[in-house]
Amino acid sequence: MKNFSITINKGEYFVLTGKNGSGKTTLIKLIAGICQPVEGIIKINGVDMTNVPPWKRAIGYLPQDGLLFPNRTVQKNIQFGLEVRGAGYDEINSQVDKVVEMLDLSNLLKRKPQGLSGGEKQKVCLARALACNPDVLLLDEPVSAIDEKAKIIYCQKLKSLQKELKITTLHVSHNSLETEFLADRVGVME
Amino acid sequence: MGLESKPHYMTTNYTKKFDMLLVIPLAIYILLIVGIILSAFIKITPEAVASVFTNPAIWDSAVRSFVTSLTSTALALVVAIPAGYILSRRKFYGHDLFDSILDLPIVMPPLVIGLCILLFFSGTTIGRFLDRGLSTMLADTIGWKSNSAGFFIFNVGGIVVVQFVVGCAFAVRVIKSAFDELDSRYEDVAMTLGATPWQSFRKISLPNALPGILAAAVISWARIFGLFGPIHLLCGTMRYKTEILPTTIYLEYSVGNLDGALVVSVFMIIISMITLFIFKKFGGKMY
Repeated sequence: MKNFSITINKGEYFVLTGKNGSGKTTLIKLIAGICQPVEGIIKINGVDMTNVPPWKRAIGYLPQDGLLFPNRTVQKNIQFGLEVRGAGYDEINSQVDKVVEMLDLSNLLKRKPQGLSGGEKQKVCLARALACNPDVLLLDEPVSAIDEKAKIIYCQKLKSLQKELKITTLHVSHNSLETEFLADRVGVME
Repeated sequence: MGLESKPHYMTTNYTKKFDMLLVIPLAIYILLIVGIILSAFIKITPEAVASVFTNPAIWDSAVRSFVTSLTSTALALVVAIPAGYILSRRKFYGHDLFDSILDLPIVMPPLVIGLCILLFFSGTTIGRFLDRGLSTMLADTIGWKSNSAGFFIFNVGGIVVVQFVVGCAFAVRVIKSAFDELDSRYEDVAMTLGATPWQSFRKISLPNALPGILAAAVISWARIFGLFGPIHLLCGTMRYKTEILPTTIYLEYSVGNLDGALVVSVFMIIISMITLFIFKKFGGKMY
């Protein structure tokens, strides 16, 4: 990626589309801190985050296939971020309860990720990311592996939650309908 | 009436003759292995079993075999887990060289490994210090008295070193393969959720690679449990001192007690079969 600049406003739902290989996923990884830029800067809430490690960035990242931790139940997946940040028992429980209610996941808590449908997995991933109260949500084609019916329900939920929580969101997508439905603003990468 | 298909791995009428042709060499080799193993089992007599199991020297050798091989396996894992992880996850300067050097203990003749270790401990300053200087220092400071001139040459320490050198290479290979199969993006996600690299390793990578790590422990242990040549070269075969089960087979055979050697061999075959079963159960893969 060269000569590239993007600004996403606070609380905005920004959808990024573009051809395969144009660098959309790389951009998301750069913002998340998984990749480091050779040059250039990344700012979150006006603060330079270029050299800040991912675990200090307050990012919620959802990769394409969700990637729930296979050794943990749904509940343990959701509370992972809080656990590693050293949250207390009460805080973990209240935060998990909150996101579980928001995304209607109470009947899945004891299950392992292997037995979940594509739509369920993505909902749990979203819950896991939201449980940590991120400043920015990075979604890398989160609905590409979900069937059509579940996709509509998921997108509606995503949109309403984003509006309710006012989280700045960058969503990478190939689907024009999805883009139109979700986006406050759309960017195209060449 | 619908169309039904056989699973893709089953022979079809079109490939039957070709498949049968390919199975012949496989069947011959399997028969050979089974024949060799059975020939050991059918020669055993109850008297030979009784004489082996009442021989205190062989019990001593068995205990030494288990203690040294389990110690070496534990040491191998301590090195192989971080080594397998870093080789799997990162490309660094010298990565490919390190990777190739790791294959050396696997492809080198075991006897040559033994000779190299002997030369290291007897022919280099650091080796001599580790072997003899350290035991002298310990004798002077805490009064520890070794039953041998050195720690490693003609001593139990040497058995552990040889087993460690050979077993660790196997362990690194299997553990690297286990980490290779685990998507590294799990760690990326964990870090974006607030986990430090250590937390993501401990809470995500390690538990998910555990079956591979157990498989590595089992296969490395099986490999070093049966090591003979390099241990014989470095530590000798001294009853009640450096004797282990493979050297027991050699000792019993060399004094003409073929029955005794056979019983110990069958015991080791059974151990190998059990470890192989456990290795497969954990889904272990070498590469």
